[in-house]
Amino acid sequence: MTREVQAVILVLVGSAIIRITIDDTFLNYVKEGMRPWLLLTGGALIAMGVLAIVDVFRGERGKKDDDEPDHEPEAENDDDHAHHGPRSAWLLLLPVLAIFLVAPPALGSFAAARDLTNSAPSTAVAPPLPPGDPVEVYVSDYVNRAVWDFGKTLAGRTVAITGFVVPNPEGGWWLTRMSLACCAADAFAGKIQVVDPPEGWEEPPADTWTVVTGEWVPGGGTNSDTAIPLLAAENIVQIEQPVNPYD
Amino acid sequence: MSQAVDVPHKNKRWRIGSLEILIVGLIALVVGQQWIVTFFTNPALQTASTIFVSIVVQAMPFLVGGVLLSGAVTAFIPASLWQRVLPKNKALAVPVSGCAGMLLPGCECASVPVAGSLVSKGVPASSALTFLLAAPAINPIVLVSTFVAFPGEPALVLARFIASLATAIIVGWIWLRFGQDSWMRMASRLHLVGDTKFETFRRTAAHDFLHAGGFLVFGAAIAAFINVIIPAEWMQSVADNPVLAIGFMALLAIVLSICSEADAFVASSFTQFSLTSKLVFMVVGPMVDIKLVAMQTGIFGRRFAVRFAPTTLVVAIAMSLIVGGVLLT
Repeated sequence: MTREVQAVILVLVGSAIIRITIDDTFLNYVKEGMRPWLLLTGGALIAMGVLAIVDVFRGERGKKDDDEPDHEPEAENDDDHAHHGPRSAWLLLLPVLAIFLVAPPALGSFAAARDLTNSAPSTAVAPPLPPGDPVEVYVSDYVNRAVWDFGKTLAGRTVAITGFVVPNPEGGWWLTRMSLACCAADAFAGKIQVVDPPEGWEEPPADTWTVVTGEWVPGGGTNSDTAIPLLAAENIVQIEQPVNPYD
Repeated sequence: MSQAVDVPHKNKRWRIGSLEILIVGLIALVVGQQWIVTFFTNPALQTASTIFVSIVVQAMPFLVGGVLLSGAVTAFIPASLWQRVLPKNKALAVPVSGCAGMLLPGCECASVPVAGSLVSKGVPASSALTFLLAAPAINPIVLVSTFVAFPGEPALVLARFIASLATAIIVGWIWLRFGQDSWMRMASRLHLVGDTKFETFRRTAAHDFLHAGGFLVFGAAIAAFINVIIPAEWMQSVADNPVLAIGFMALLAIVLSICSEADAFVASSFTQFSLTSKLVFMVVGPMVDIKLVAMQTGIFGRRFAVRFAPTTLVVAIAMSLIVGGVLLT
């Protein structure tokens, strides 16, 4: 790998990071709080790359590198090519290509169906729901209140919950939303079984984003990390994927 | 590329180099984008690509922060400083150099050449090797990224610190007692010296990034596919068996070769596994993995690497189990 290519790779990686940060695509992968760090990172990589390109154009300055033996084992069997970088650096193009060509979407029903648990055991006492009719609740919050607090704080309230459709292999569908501990690699799914849909309602295809308004009904199990609580739907509206797809 | 023709000590004639491959490859990919996107509608592949990109994106700020700092240390701190601050007593110098590892914020890719340069500057091998093992595992950036990757598990950060430092010191002492300098075949060390300190700084940073970044991408890709390909039930049963889980995570650390600034994020993605097995992953990873053994072979020679890596692996697993047993249960 020549120094030109090394410089281009630095600029490409930096640009890819800046690009997903500016258009909010990064929220498909990591948490909101990473935004400033990603901008700094992308900026630093582009700066390094641009300065490396300047090095290349200043020509003779580059000769200095030629006289130095490269310490890399990969480089030992390389030919007479000057200023080679490590071959492994080619791999840095993979995430760049993934971002610019494929633009991987937020995790959806495939990842959600792989997650066998529905909530982490919790002993914390849930505070009362804030006022509102309906009151907006996150999927994970609803699951925790229903499964680990016996639905005490949900009874008698109308809730509006945003999530996507994951078909339940045993019938019906789960209103689902993924949560991130850190990034999409450690995402876990929260699922709510939607029951009693309104008249004439047809189950939408997997991964359709919806807002379900309804009331908690007992059932689905409690005090178990695999329990999936129920929600009796009064109204279901299809929506676009939220800017931040995770809880 | 006409410049290459004019300068005789470079390529004698024009030929297909990496720049041409890069340009042709990029054009082909842009032209074929529609086809590639169709290929990626497979949900398993799509999920794997999302996990892959997210590991890389999450790790990038830590990796770049690490290479900038290692560039700064290389450019602005003279190597002779280490020699002056180390105690004369070699056995005593081992733990001191282990703690000095906290001062080099870089990942293992940075610490191998630094350790090589320390040895060639006359620092005892036992100290340099302890530093080599400790620096990528216990520096502030790695500890902070571990803290971020495991919200609500501060004990794991402490456990990682203690187990890694203990491993580094014990291996240093083992080397002092049994090691022979003749096993080392020192290659010449790296120079990225520019006309100004700033130039040295940014060249070192860019160099370290290119060396470490590729292995990060490789590790992220393997982790993403393991996450998607291996059935969840199967992973669960490996994770449920404590001995299998530890063996699996140690093996994974060796195979994945992830940069220590990013490995905590990969470790936390294996949600079914016990904290102790994740600790094994994070203690073994920065000290023994495929790329590291390759680099150690390159710098210190094969006879050294075949002795050093297995010893380190055994000590690292033992220390993780002891520290994990005390702190994480």
